[in-house]
Amino acid sequence: MPRRISSGRMTPGRPNPTPVRRVGGARSGRLGCMSSFVIEASGLSRSFGQTHALAGVDLSVRAGESLAIMGASGSGKTTLLHCLAGITRPDAGTVGFRSGSGRVEITGLGERERSRLRREAFGFVFQQGLLIPELTAVENVALALMLNGMPRARAEEYGRGWLAALGLAGLEDRRIGQLSGGQAQRVAIARAQVTGASVVFADEPTGALDSVTSADVMSALLDSTTGQGRTLVLVTHDPGVAARCSRMVEMRDGRIVGERVAA
Amino acid sequence: MIGRVAWLLARPGTTGLTASALPVVAFAIVTALLLAVLGGAQTFWTWTDDWAVTYQALAVIALVLLVVPLASLGGAAARLSARRRDDRLATLRLLGATPATVSALAVIESAVLAAAGAVVGVVLYAALVPALALIPFRGEALGIEGVLLGWAALVGVPVGVVLLAVVSAVLGLRLVVISPLGVRTRQDAPRLHWLRAAVAVVVVALGAGLMAVLQVAASALVILGMLAVAFGGALAVQNLVGPWVIRLVARAQAGSAKTPAKLLAARAVLESPKAAWRQVSGVAMTSFMAVFAGSGVAVLGSMGGGESDRESELLIADIRTGILITVIGSFLMVACSVGVNQAAAILDRRDLYEALGRLGMPTSTTDAARRRSVMSPLRITAIGSALTAAIVMLPLTGITLIVAPASLLVIAAVLAAGIGVVWLGLLATRPLLVRAAGA
Ligand SMILES: Nc1ncnc2c1ncn2[C@@H]1O[C@H](COP(=O)(O)OP(=O)(O)OP(=O)(O)O)[C@@H](O)[C@H]1O
Ligand SMILES: [Mg+2]
Repeated sequence: MPRRISSGRMTPGRPNPTPVRRVGGARSGRLGCMSSFVIEASGLSRSFGQTHALAGVDLSVRAGESLAIMGASGSGKTTLLHCLAGITRPDAGTVGFRSGSGRVEITGLGERERSRLRREAFGFVFQQGLLIPELTAVENVALALMLNGMPRARAEEYGRGWLAALGLAGLEDRRIGQLSGGQAQRVAIARAQVTGASVVFADEPTGALDSVTSADVMSALLDSTTGQGRTLVLVTHDPGVAARCSRMVEMRDGRIVGERVAA
Repeated sequence: MIGRVAWLLARPGTTGLTASALPVVAFAIVTALLLAVLGGAQTFWTWTDDWAVTYQALAVIALVLLVVPLASLGGAAARLSARRRDDRLATLRLLGATPATVSALAVIESAVLAAAGAVVGVVLYAALVPALALIPFRGEALGIEGVLLGWAALVGVPVGVVLLAVVSAVLGLRLVVISPLGVRTRQDAPRLHWLRAAVAVVVVALGAGLMAVLQVAASALVILGMLAVAFGGALAVQNLVGPWVIRLVARAQAGSAKTPAKLLAARAVLESPKAAWRQVSGVAMTSFMAVFAGSGVAVLGSMGGGESDRESELLIADIRTGILITVIGSFLMVACSVGVNQAAAILDRRDLYEALGRLGMPTSTTDAARRRSVMSPLRITAIGSALTAAIVMLPLTGITLIVAPASLLVIAAVLAAGIGVVWLGLLATRPLLVRAAGA
């Protein structure tokens, strides 16, 4: 069913029914003409009581790159990811998001608008898949599209396409409890991709997996994001995972203390 | 160790007031109900004439009807306590606590909540005494002295409620697997056999047949006995087919659902049709009882004709009063149990709701799905049980009595009240969901 086309970036909100397997992170030419930053954050700080989880972070994410955020436990990685994605609002600082339709300041949006932005323009993969256990694999994926108003039949068709592309053909109608951890994580990846999210945020997506499965899931994640000119922001403790990203920043005590760009 | 655990217990939870207030309110209402029924019924035991035994038997039936939901409420409250502890499980584990310790804490907590509720319930009962005193039995109001209980009951009932809460907590917790990661294994959705439906049809037909020959029975005692058999049989049948019907309907709904909320609701019901049934069966039982007993009483009233004595007229009026009290009582209990069950269910899935909120799923969608997963089975069971009662009673009452405006009005009012209280239980737990999704 899914046609194999090789266009680059999708506009947010438009579903991405056509998973494309392409090796490498080639960017589409169109991106080069635009400002190359999808997300620009400056002066982010966030405290929880006495804890300064973020203490002034400036970070820009380029379109089509894969950015790994590393650092010790409690250094503020998750908090930063949540601020970038509009899940949490920082105490100070701004986050801007640039898409085909212009630039929006996420930090200036209300909860309802941020929720909509997350639903339509972003995708998320968490450490535990956090899929809905009573739904089937394909329904979990289709739900993301249905929430954006797509009719169910079409949403499920796209969902099946994505699951097949991620190596889950034949398992579409299993419930989540009947899948292995790695398979469930692929379903979560499909869910994050299917809406055509321009940025995918992943918080330790391989944290609960063994090293072989972890490498598989990481390949699936990279192929389906940067492999199509889309952007991946990922938190990880695993240097092996970080090494496969195009850029890595290191956090300590709520600040970015180091950066490394892949050769 | 004890000191640190006590500190953990005392620390304000992340789940807010709703999760602890709900069981307290529930236990308070249950205690007040039990005391009120005991208070009203104690008068029956002061009578010494022939009718006393009948009244005493009916009072015992009403009490049993109230104790059964009380036990399930206790179990739900304990599960809620266990879920509230989940977020502290990691900390407790670090302190060296075993899952057994955590379970023990949940049991202790539900005992404490039950005790608090029971005390409030006694106060509630005291406030109700003037109103209870006005209820007429055998032609005269019970009076303050009639409904005022002695110290033994005022202490005994709360102690009994706490004991029941502890026992059902221990039993209820055995069903909950508390794992540090909160990962629970889910098996395949259960299958229920169509044979249940066949058995049900036979039993309902037998019940209707029994009602058809009721007129020829000689004594009131035989009539009461036949009514009891038909009532019990039809009730048992509902327990048998309720989950099966709910599952059939949910499967059709899951297939045809067009919106996220409808799909989520249908799948949630399919996950455990039995649990969905348990949550609303109280309303089904009550509406069944109301229709069955209500029309039974109506027939008894019209059957006697001229020769009926004043005593049996009064008995019929009193049974009506008793039905009304039991209906109100069990609806209150159902509202409590839905509230407590829902609170436990929300806390159970806190991580999932939080994640869905982060993905951008609107809380209104999540809430709509949750409401629908209760209301849809409720509609099926309430209408289904009223229909069953009507079918069984039809040979006895004739179609005219069942479709009389007054009967229809009463049936509709009972159904509406039942659906209304469940709605209230759902509404009361919405803040918990909002908190879980927005955290
Ligand atoms: N909701 C919260 N309430 C209170 N403190 C918080 C909250 N969220 C984060 N913190 C604190 O902020 C700091 C940064 O937390 P964060 O979750 O961002 O760390 P992290 O780098 O993701 O750690 P890990 O690698 O363990 O996931 C920590 O000290 C944490 O305790
Ligand atoms: Mg983290």
